[in-house]
Amino acid sequence: MMAKNRISLEINGEAVEADVRPNRLLSDFLRDDLALTGTKRGCETGVCGACSVLVDGDVVKSCLSLAIQMNGCSLTTVEGLACDGAPSPLQKSFMECGGLQCGYCTPGFLMAASDLLARTSRPDVATIRKNLSGNLCRCTGYQGIVDAILDASEKMHGT
Amino acid sequence: MRDFHYLEPRTVSEATAMLADHGEEACVFAGGTALILALRQRMMAPGVLVSLGQLEEMRAIRFDPKEGLLIGAMARHNDIARSKIVRQHYPVVAEMAGGLANPQVRNQATIGGNLCYADPSTDPPACLLALGAELTIKGQHGARRIPMDEFNVDYFTVAMEPGEILTQIRLPPPDQEVTTFYRRHLRTPAEHRPVANLALAVRNRGGAFEDVRLIVGAATPAPQLLDGVQDYLSGRSVTAEVAAEAADRAAEEMFPISDGRGDEGFRRQVVRALTRRLVAEAANLDWKETE
Ligand SMILES: Cc1cc2nc3c(=O)[nH]c(=O)nc-3n(C[C@H](O)[C@H](O)[C@H](O)COP(=O)(O)OP(=O)(O)OC[C@H]3O[C@@H](n4cnc5c(N)ncnc54)[C@H](O)[C@@H]3O)c2cc1C
Ligand code: FES
Ligand code: FES
Repeated sequence: MMAKNRISLEINGEAVEADVRPNRLLSDFLRDDLALTGTKRGCETGVCGACSVLVDGDVVKSCLSLAIQMNGCSLTTVEGLACDGAPSPLQKSFMECGGLQCGYCTPGFLMAASDLLARTSRPDVATIRKNLSGNLCRCTGYQGIVDAILDASEKMHGT
Repeated sequence: MRDFHYLEPRTVSEATAMLADHGEEACVFAGGTALILALRQRMMAPGVLVSLGQLEEMRAIRFDPKEGLLIGAMARHNDIARSKIVRQHYPVVAEMAGGLANPQVRNQATIGGNLCYADPSTDPPACLLALGAELTIKGQHGARRIPMDEFNVDYFTVAMEPGEILTQIRLPPPDQEVTTFYRRHLRTPAEHRPVANLALAVRNRGGAFEDVRLIVGAATPAPQLLDGVQDYLSGRSVTAEVAAEAADRAAEEMFPISDGRGDEGFRRQVVRALTRRLVAEAANLDWKETE
């Protein structure tokens, strides 16, 4: 058995120190070691996007990352989106516009949309669709998700 | 995934020394998007991963009027797509990098990892070949430069020795008279990887093509230069009929692969359509009318 390595990182604004084995996936580290189970495991091959998190502001797939790569990084998971326990404007728009049904894909879509809205305050539909191309949803047919992101961008950045 | 040691060298020479020390046991780790899948499937079981993640110098993108565009091998696809320097001097490369895979993979996968892994169903190789790229490779005993034409040897095989690291991709200063076009084709819009792609560089002299470079990627074991079509197009004034003839010749000349994404025949048809459209576009013809 290999030795564990100490990593220091920030998750949702809190400093975290942990000992991880080099072969620990980031998705398993978040869910199984830190009990941050908002991040989902779907395909575990980089296709479905259910495992998406932000690393230094960029959306990535945590099933294609090692926890040890995150040393010194700042992460945001879906648990970090709410403001003082209340859903963020983006989360509210998902609820109001039919952006989810079963909800399994939702954390991943929220993280991809967060990355997009941080870069582009008023994206058009084509840009939204392009930026969701790394996430799959089996329920909504995507229209509700696109509507939710348009709605959130209006509420957050005005018309 | 089997256990391994994870090393983080601070300089390229430290990295090559570590690779030399651990020999066959060691493997370079860049963004991890290809390697983690291979490790989980136990297609590979290295004892030591030498991560290039701390080598900031290898992530830089610069332009030098004499040397051209210099892209560090650790630049992620989105670093390239969003780089002002790349967009200014080589917009076709920024477009290509910003359109491949999906947003998450573009944020974590590197151009160097993409080239070294040499999975045939990828975008950068054909595009970079059309632009005359040159690669810098470093080993324990120094650096060498090779033209991209010599790099992709076969399916998942490149002209690198164990222990070597790809450090930089150089594109010569753009020639203002040469235009480069790049197109990819996906089997369905929900697929991430291309079933075929095509890159075309031409000097358009009043309708006549010169210095033609035509490369097919993703549909062949390694990107393939279509010499026959290049010769056919050189010096010719391109009409709709010429574009159609070039397309037939491209479909004929290529050596297609067959896999889950498409069989040989399908790939020939896709390359035929891509060639006709791209050649017509390069000649400022409306390809939709060439049927
Ligand atoms: C879901 C998905 C969709 C994708 N779609 C596309 C697509 O549409 N188009 C496309 O082009 N690609 C696509 N890819 C492939 C992706 O671009 C590659 O996986 C990626 O670029 C590999 O880079 P990396 O940094 O993650 O490499 P790693 O996984 O870290 O390494 C890959 C290999 O290269 C070696 N290596 C890495 N860097 C170096 C170096 N500098 N010197 C020497 N050896 C090195 C490693 O040892 C390893 O063998 C897709 C991948 C996924 C997972
Ligand atoms: S679980 Fe990571 S992309 Fe599907
Ligand atoms: S809401 Fe069920 S998968 Fe998207």
